[in-house]
Amino acid sequence: MGFQFLLAVVIGAIAYLDRTAAFQVMLHRPLVVATAMGAVFGNVYAGAQVGAIMELLYLARLPVGASIPPDDTGAAMFGGAAAAVAASSVGLSAGSFAAVLLLSVPCAELGKAADRLVRRVNGRIAALTAESVERGDFRSVEHGLLAGVTLFALSGAVLSLAFTGAGVAVGKLLLPRFGPASRNLFAALLPVLPLLGAASVFSCTRTDRTAPAFYLTMGMVFAATFFYRWVG
Amino acid sequence: MEGLGRAAWRSAWRRQFFLQGCWNYEGMQNVGFAYSILPALREFYRDRPEDLTKALKRHLEYFNTQPSMAGVILGAALRLEERTAAGEADPREIGTFKVGLMGSLGAIGDAYFWGALRPMASVAGAILALVHPFLGIAALLLLYNVSHLSIRRKGFAAGIAGEESAVQFLKGAGFAGKTADRKIVAAILGGAYAGAAASKAAFLFGNGTAPAFLFVAALTVHLLTVLFRKAVSPSEILLFLLMIGALLLWQ
Repeated sequence: MGFQFLLAVVIGAIAYLDRTAAFQVMLHRPLVVATAMGAVFGNVYAGAQVGAIMELLYLARLPVGASIPPDDTGAAMFGGAAAAVAASSVGLSAGSFAAVLLLSVPCAELGKAADRLVRRVNGRIAALTAESVERGDFRSVEHGLLAGVTLFALSGAVLSLAFTGAGVAVGKLLLPRFGPASRNLFAALLPVLPLLGAASVFSCTRTDRTAPAFYLTMGMVFAATFFYRWVG
Repeated sequence: MEGLGRAAWRSAWRRQFFLQGCWNYEGMQNVGFAYSILPALREFYRDRPEDLTKALKRHLEYFNTQPSMAGVILGAALRLEERTAAGEADPREIGTFKVGLMGSLGAIGDAYFWGALRPMASVAGAILALVHPFLGIAALLLLYNVSHLSIRRKGFAAGIAGEESAVQFLKGAGFAGKTADRKIVAAILGGAYAGAAASKAAFLFGNGTAPAFLFVAALTVHLLTVLFRKAVSPSEILLFLLMIGALLLWQ
């Protein structure tokens, strides 16, 4: 288990760097992160299932200007680990699946608070950098940036350890404590979650032209897949 | 660029990927921008440390734009700094140019990258992940990064060619049309995703009431969209659902 956590921390640090400080090539997206956590904790498919839904849930919040969206990377670290572990302990039923997705929300909010803290500390680093440049120390710009990147990576590594630890605990200890009947109660909430994801996508892309396209496609795909299931 | 060595040019290109490395509330991307342009400034102001200090201070002022669009401003700022170092331009032009362009580039970039390209890539990835996880990841990364890296490269090259070329790039790249097209694709894929999810629920919970399920699902999506527009966070809705789940368990 120690090696798995070490791997999770390394992947988490890279994903958190990609989120803000470096590259922004979407390695931090929940689909990528949750699938990776699923692979680390023994079930790629369970991680990918959680990641596919989480990918869309938080899209409605855009990282525009100084606003920080919920930390969907952290939520995916928790969700991927919890789903993979739950799949081998109680099985990833609809109820466990919905519970994992909903229990990831505190991680998203905690990660957001940590991100805000890192950016505040960066303010001090930036001020020190400006003072050093004034004194003629040009390398301080490189040192300042390195300090900022290191801070983002360290914060990401700590959050990754905490979130995957919580995920493993939920999958191994919390979910098995509830019987199948209790878990099935959570299954009633599951149909709302993909719709929440679709609403997130629609909210980002909504214009006069896209609204008919969205609802028409929804109706057509509903009819086609329902008919296919009904016949098959 | 005639005055700039290839190593410094490449270094500036690579360093733009760390624009947000020291993101802070006061100067936002200021340290990242100064870091990106530093290798070029060292060449332009070789043996002129006082001028280098002044140039660096110019770039440590407040700067914020959409990070994938920053290459345009970085390239143009390099060109302007080269002319300033040669005594052909007023250093104040650099600040004016940066401030003038960062707002509009931010707005264009946010609408394109966060409002259209990322939702399109995400929903395509989420749908294809149901076929195979790695297919979903590949679709997400490819759909986003082909456009993202191409805009970074073309924008940087246009900026390097001069301020007018940078402005021409923005006019000619057709961001408004591309944004609208990708929004349509994202909406169609999002609709397909919602339709498939609603049909699965309808099949599980009752065959005779399929039209009612479709109506309820469409209404749910509409209501959630209205909530998002009223600045309700997805986290708040998910927490509300979690509380309902806890209440169901408690009963």
